[in-house]
Amino acid sequence: MPKLTIDGREIEVEAGVTLIEAARRMGIKTPHFCWHPELSVAANCRMCLVEIEKNPKLQPACQIPAAEGMVVHTENPRVREARRAIMEYLLLNHPVDCPICDQSGECKLQDYYMLYDLKSSRLASEEDKVRKRKHVPFGPHVVYDAERCVMCTRCVRFCAEYVKDPMLCEVHRGDHSEIDVSPDRTLEHGYSLMTAHICPVGALTSRDFRFQCRVWFLKAAETICPGCATGCSACLDHNRGRAFRLRPRVNNAVNRCWLCDDGVLSYRFHNDHRLCSPSLGRGNPQPASWEDALSEAAAALGKTPKAERAAVLSAERTCEENWALIVFAREALGIERFFLAARPDGTADQRLRSADKNPNRAGVRLMLGAEPEPMTALLEAATAGRIRAVIALGAEASAAGVEPSTGLLRLGTVVSIAERTGTLPDAAHVRLPCGSWAQSAGTFVNAKGMAQEFGRAMPLGDGLLDVHEILARLARRLDLSFPYKTAAEVRTAVAGRLPEAGAAGGAP
Amino acid sequence: MPYVVKRPERDIWEQSYIPETVRGMGVTLRHFFRNVIGRRDTVTILYPEVQRPYPPRFRGLHRLTQRDDGSPRCTACMCCQTACPAECIHIVAGSYPDGHPLAFVEKYPAEFWIDELRCVFCGLCVEACPCDAIRMDTGLHARPVEARPHLMYERNLLLSITDAKGDVLTANPRKK
Ligand code: SF4
Ligand code: SF4
Ligand code: SF4
Ligand code: FES
Repeated sequence: MPKLTIDGREIEVEAGVTLIEAARRMGIKTPHFCWHPELSVAANCRMCLVEIEKNPKLQPACQIPAAEGMVVHTENPRVREARRAIMEYLLLNHPVDCPICDQSGECKLQDYYMLYDLKSSRLASEEDKVRKRKHVPFGPHVVYDAERCVMCTRCVRFCAEYVKDPMLCEVHRGDHSEIDVSPDRTLEHGYSLMTAHICPVGALTSRDFRFQCRVWFLKAAETICPGCATGCSACLDHNRGRAFRLRPRVNNAVNRCWLCDDGVLSYRFHNDHRLCSPSLGRGNPQPASWEDALSEAAAALGKTPKAERAAVLSAERTCEENWALIVFAREALGIERFFLAARPDGTADQRLRSADKNPNRAGVRLMLGAEPEPMTALLEAATAGRIRAVIALGAEASAAGVEPSTGLLRLGTVVSIAERTGTLPDAAHVRLPCGSWAQSAGTFVNAKGMAQEFGRAMPLGDGLLDVHEILARLARRLDLSFPYKTAAEVRTAVAGRLPEAGAAGGAP
Repeated sequence: MPYVVKRPERDIWEQSYIPETVRGMGVTLRHFFRNVIGRRDTVTILYPEVQRPYPPRFRGLHRLTQRDDGSPRCTACMCCQTACPAECIHIVAGSYPDGHPLAFVEKYPAEFWIDELRCVFCGLCVEACPCDAIRMDTGLHARPVEARPHLMYERNLLLSITDAKGDVLTANPRKK
């Protein structure tokens, strides 16, 4: 184990650890463009140059492995001058179109310019800059701006090494070099937005997020991606009640530091098709007050005989919410039949994506202590008239091979607790709006059986209630008992039924 | 640090107020008659018929400047919205479609709102703008209006307001 000195402090690291990594462990941030902890070392940007004593030239910290007795300086005048020179070189032909550049605010060029350069360009005229292609669509999710590119090749290495589909390459030479997609290909491999995420400058930007919101207005909150059963750790960026994007959060047990495209875009579960107030009536819903909606729901559920009631749990919703519904259904309504509503399956691959597009199917199973019956069974029972009233959680409900809405319309009463429109709320008599996944706190259990707790990322909007609160109010109207008053009580009840908490996510 | 405020010492003449009141009234009446009869020291003017010349750097209502082709100079970078301490600017960015003659600029303000009632006329938006797209050189005051929304100035209105000389382009000689 080599022992070395960085900026006057000693550290011992395993053999093979690079200087940039050793410095990072000591809390020293070495500026870099091309280095990425999950990708191979390219050492082409030269931003990470450091001085190693007894070595005549500055060396790239991202490439040099730590060696016994090394004395490294990361912040002396010689190193700072090298950084300034690199910045001048990188910015020589740079368009500096920060006003229209979506990276502005989270751009490494901007940050390092402020830290190390602060000089104006020595280029005689703007007109002498090398002009290259701008806003080139690389694929359905990503656009490329060659003038802003610093040729760090992170995107190229990401496609080749992580996705194992080397479709990006460097073309031309010197000042004119740029990144291009292989002929007849488009940047479309399910992880294309990660290229925009790791691009340290505004060369690759997300077509979805572009121009929607300046990044300095965004607030970030830690969450779990609701897009599929993998349960990747993520940060949700939001502003004024609107969600804008998901960014990967480091979790070496699940997603390391990546998200798939669907995951990045799954912030839409918060924004789109939301139910904002309770409403009554099938087909042509009329907005109603919470009072009226809850009374209507309680009356409709109360008048159906116990044996003809059922509950629909949701693989889209947290363990806590499903548990609250299970307890309410069993103890207050005497329900014995539980069904599972879920989104339909989708594509899977060897990296992150699971075919099961629901974040919490395994969690529902754990909460119920048994396998809930599938939607098809509910539709059959409804058609046969054995079930007449249903209280349902979640919006989407797919059933293998059948169109669920017609079967659901045979039910005399459907009370739906959901955050957005979908199969279940559309067939419901009473819609009780709750928070989206981003507005709730809870636990998802992923396909590997890891329980991952997450907090409320965004405040619960006006006119919405938490699921346990809706159920408590319903129970009060029915004069039945419901044991939970606060979210913390539900949490405690659920905690014992969950597997050991999954490896906690690290810093974003 | 606490300290004791020294009370002014007043003699009985001042303390009784009456002679001081009469003296003050005397000053008022002297000005009144001088101005009514002689109109010598009047400081008020018959605004708005009469207006004082404003200093050239007077900050009035905003305008959005245009390029030579009539498109807004603004690129919806949101710097002004960020800088505004009164939070009275709201911008929604749009992007020029492919093939548009201005597609190379990529971005423009699809919506641009300034709440002139909230504005504190500090001029920080003008300072912040990297494109010289927003200026306060119109020489205009906020008009009296019947309802608050009438002072929510919208993009096209802002683009149509001219500077004090009647120009819709930028007045900055450094910007081509
Ligand atoms: S890449 Fe960075 S420095 Fe370049 S225009 Fe974009 S924000 Fe500005
Ligand atoms: S597009 Fe971005 S990630 Fe790719 S080489 Fe250029 S700067 Fe690096
Ligand atoms: S600072 Fe200028 S260019 Fe940027 S949004 Fe405001 S007016 Fe437009
Ligand atoms: S980060 Fe070391 S050379 Fe780019």
